[in-house]
Amino acid sequence: MGLKGRVCSRTILLCLLIAWTHGIALGEQKFRIGYADPLTGTFGRDGNLVKDAYNFWAELVNAKGGIEVKGKKYPVELTVIDDKSTAAENARFTEKLITEDKVDLILGGFGSDSVFAGSAVAEKYKYPLVSGAASSDKLFARGFKYYFSTLGKATEEVRGCVDIVQILSPKPKTGAIIGSDILFTSLAAEGYRKYAAQNGIEILHFELFPITLQDYNSMLVKVKQKNPDVLFVGSHLMVAMKTIKGMKEIDFTPKMVTFSYGPTVPDFIKSLGKDAEYVVGASEWAPNLPYRDPLFGTARQFNENYFKKYGRNPDYVEAASAAGAYAIQVAIEKLGITPPVKEEDRVRIMEELHRQSLTTFYGVVKFGAGGANEAHPPVAVQVQNGKLVNVYPKEVAEAAPWYPMKPWKKR
Amino acid sequence: MLKKSSLLILILITTGLLIVPFGGFSEYFLRLLAVIFLWIGKAGCWNIICGYTGYIDFGAVGYYGIGSYVTALLMSKGNAPFLISILVSGLVSALIALPIGLPTLRLKGAYFGIATLAFAEAMKQIILEFDKTAGVNFFEGPHGITLPIGPKNEFFYYVGFGIMVVVIGIAYWIKRSKFGYALRAIREAEQAAELSGVDTLRSKVKAYMISAFFLGMIGGIEAYWLTYITPHMVFDVLITIQMVVMSLLGGMGTVFGPVVGASFLTILYELLHRDFPYTYTIIVGFIIVVVVLLMPKGIVGTLTPAGHEPSMVQGRQREP
Amino acid sequence: MLLFLQSLINGILLGGIYASYSAGFSLIFGVMGVINIFHGEMVMLGAFLTYWIFTLFHIDPFLTVPLSFFSLFIFGYLVQRFVINRVVEAPPMNSYILTFGIHLIVAYTALWIWTADFRTVTTSYSGMNANMGGIVIPYARLATFVLALIVVAGVYFLLYRTEIGRAIQATAQDKEIARLMGVNIRQIYAITFGVGAAITGIAGSLISTYFIIFPQMGLSYTIIAFCVVVLGGMGYIPGALYGGLILGVVQSLTATYLNAGLSGALTFILLFIMLVLRPAGILGKGIVE
Repeated sequence: MGLKGRVCSRTILLCLLIAWTHGIALGEQKFRIGYADPLTGTFGRDGNLVKDAYNFWAELVNAKGGIEVKGKKYPVELTVIDDKSTAAENARFTEKLITEDKVDLILGGFGSDSVFAGSAVAEKYKYPLVSGAASSDKLFARGFKYYFSTLGKATEEVRGCVDIVQILSPKPKTGAIIGSDILFTSLAAEGYRKYAAQNGIEILHFELFPITLQDYNSMLVKVKQKNPDVLFVGSHLMVAMKTIKGMKEIDFTPKMVTFSYGPTVPDFIKSLGKDAEYVVGASEWAPNLPYRDPLFGTARQFNENYFKKYGRNPDYVEAASAAGAYAIQVAIEKLGITPPVKEEDRVRIMEELHRQSLTTFYGVVKFGAGGANEAHPPVAVQVQNGKLVNVYPKEVAEAAPWYPMKPWKKR
Repeated sequence: MLKKSSLLILILITTGLLIVPFGGFSEYFLRLLAVIFLWIGKAGCWNIICGYTGYIDFGAVGYYGIGSYVTALLMSKGNAPFLISILVSGLVSALIALPIGLPTLRLKGAYFGIATLAFAEAMKQIILEFDKTAGVNFFEGPHGITLPIGPKNEFFYYVGFGIMVVVIGIAYWIKRSKFGYALRAIREAEQAAELSGVDTLRSKVKAYMISAFFLGMIGGIEAYWLTYITPHMVFDVLITIQMVVMSLLGGMGTVFGPVVGASFLTILYELLHRDFPYTYTIIVGFIIVVVVLLMPKGIVGTLTPAGHEPSMVQGRQREP
Repeated sequence: MLLFLQSLINGILLGGIYASYSAGFSLIFGVMGVINIFHGEMVMLGAFLTYWIFTLFHIDPFLTVPLSFFSLFIFGYLVQRFVINRVVEAPPMNSYILTFGIHLIVAYTALWIWTADFRTVTTSYSGMNANMGGIVIPYARLATFVLALIVVAGVYFLLYRTEIGRAIQATAQDKEIARLMGVNIRQIYAITFGVGAAITGIAGSLISTYFIIFPQMGLSYTIIAFCVVVLGGMGYIPGALYGGLILGVVQSLTATYLNAGLSGALTFILLFIMLVLRPAGILGKGIVE
């Protein structure tokens, strides 16, 4: 092919390409939704859960043809950018999604630090940001109008793990609280303290330790020495796994051990096997709760379909994330907003989200004026025979809690 | 002096960059450029102490973190204006650099590296633990500090641009001054420099404090931009590593090495990271390996003719 | 008193763990002057090797130790032979950045293939311990401690009692003379790196049974190994043991008697003071360039 031919063929190719891309743009209107989320780095594991949840929602919506507005259906298209578990990167990519990709709407990723930075950007551009995986109390203290969270506040999240003592006999009298020194886990530790006081549990020990701590044994020895009835741990997945490993190594068995986050993630039971038995974890959702919505069906159906797609059960953070995306969808449908979404539309969505009181498979989503989801049950789950079982509160309990914990050596 | 032609190019680039915010680019584009400016600033600070003297500082993020906290505290608890806050940030960082630099800069090579790393990690832990141990509510430990919401990106664009120009300017000045010769003498042969009357410790500490001053200021700027900081965020060892890699890729001990290294890495990241979130970093790893093997003086050090922009890293000697 | 003894023993066992994965770092630095940033990745590779063999074939983690040793030896040998040898005579910062590049390649390839999942090897006997008059000693850690002693003794033996050891020593002391004596320096470097990698890999294998492993775990191990080796004296092999023990005991006692948060701060403050006062390590036998 001569030079001329090559230029000619290139021009044709370019024309085709332009026609093709424009064809899509004209032929099919979509809701383009983006979010910055940690896929690598410290929270890479957790961030991927959130990504799975959003994809699950989008596929379900698109399988039905899209979000239905005024009788017409508009599919959703998700874009994710990895923020490497860094707050500065989250802010940067949230801004990229908004000002460069010009997405219609955004969602929240995993982790309070990152969402903290990202929400400031969202507020600046008047983009409602609904997050299902960040719940630190401080996020709500800034009085942002555009920030919403389907999870409750971190300090309240652990309530079920403490209130469960009311149904245990003999009722535990003393406890020890430890937690790693990052935002979410330190707040969980403070939540434990608050609810322990309400339940009349005497706290013998309270300690925050560095998240980078490699060895837990020496700290746990000290806790063991004080002999608390219950060990409350403000944790992420890894902290929870390390704590169990350490407790077994130093042969420390309190009557109960609870974690703010970790046991509900599938890796926990998968990796620890039998050592995970008896462990209690906080949850804000359970598949046997009597909730339902038109998109996901019942909580149980959500659970089953999720299992079909990913081969594992969803964590409550995933349920909360999917519910957050659904809340936006309902707001769009109600307001009759079509893509491309304009700034005044987003203001209306924000106002609608504050008004909304929505029943979903995840439970009631009601953000109220503050943006934090107000109504949610403080569920406590326990690992029993390799499965997560709801043990508290009574309305959702599938089994009685195993109590007290069996000493390691007798298992 | 710079050649006339290169001076002209510099003036053109500077003017170009100054009018970019009026060019109708997206807010993100401004942010991206500002991010590059601030990385050039950080890598440039690292280069001032490490590039010229050959001392490898693995704890540079300590001063960045101190600066972030000083600004955050002043602005959130003292309602101080931004410019004053970042100046105080710089001063506090430089003042802390004095007692840290005096003993550590006597150490050699890897020992200096690990001592500075220990300093930065200790600072992080101290800020995390201080409130609990002292029973006050000052640094707010793991809860972090929320700053007031800042102005638009244009503001940070110009602030970032300004600090970058100052850091490059100082690097240029040091390189040409007597002080710069002293630093390079330290790098080539410290004992000989000492014998010929250079007060090596004094020169090193001076360079270290200058570097800490600007790192502190940049920490303050970024804290205000981010609106929220925690010890884990601002004392992240990965920030130091990034500065080291940028300086080394660009060319240590060269004035424009950090400019090239920081721009190159940030732009590469921008182009690849989104579509290849996992493989992107692997590609960067390969690029680093290739650059070290093929361009041991860094990009600027290798591309500029010998003598014009001499690099501190001597060429690879013959292999055994 | 019981608490004190327990904490002390925890510290000693922790020191054994630190020593087991730090000795290789010291060896590599001592002979080649390379500060190996991807040291932690070798721990990770050893740990994942054991994890996969255990998970897929149900082979006991302790039986995977020889395989870990040989695989990591080959890995280390090849990396040194074909990559690091090219910069070993350049200024040290070239080797920092080169090994940092390799760190990125290994860690992120592992992340890409194995995902960010947290894993651990849970055997029927994991977490088992001996209870001696109220003092609990976990078996797996005791085994690691013994391993650390064997490794240090083994490397010592290799360096001082074998032909190749003498060649390594001669190379470490004076390259030029070694070369004149007919030592193939490239080969010696590659073997040294291989041995360093191999002993690090087996430490990783054992670690997988009591710590949580994931692809990005490496950097924190590198940093601790660096601290341990500096405390004991860079390049002085038994120093890894002393450094590990000091660090382990100090951390353990502060975590027990003060709090775990301060143990982090104190570690680094101790390291800082130590460096300023005795840069050649606690016994003064390390290399001060």
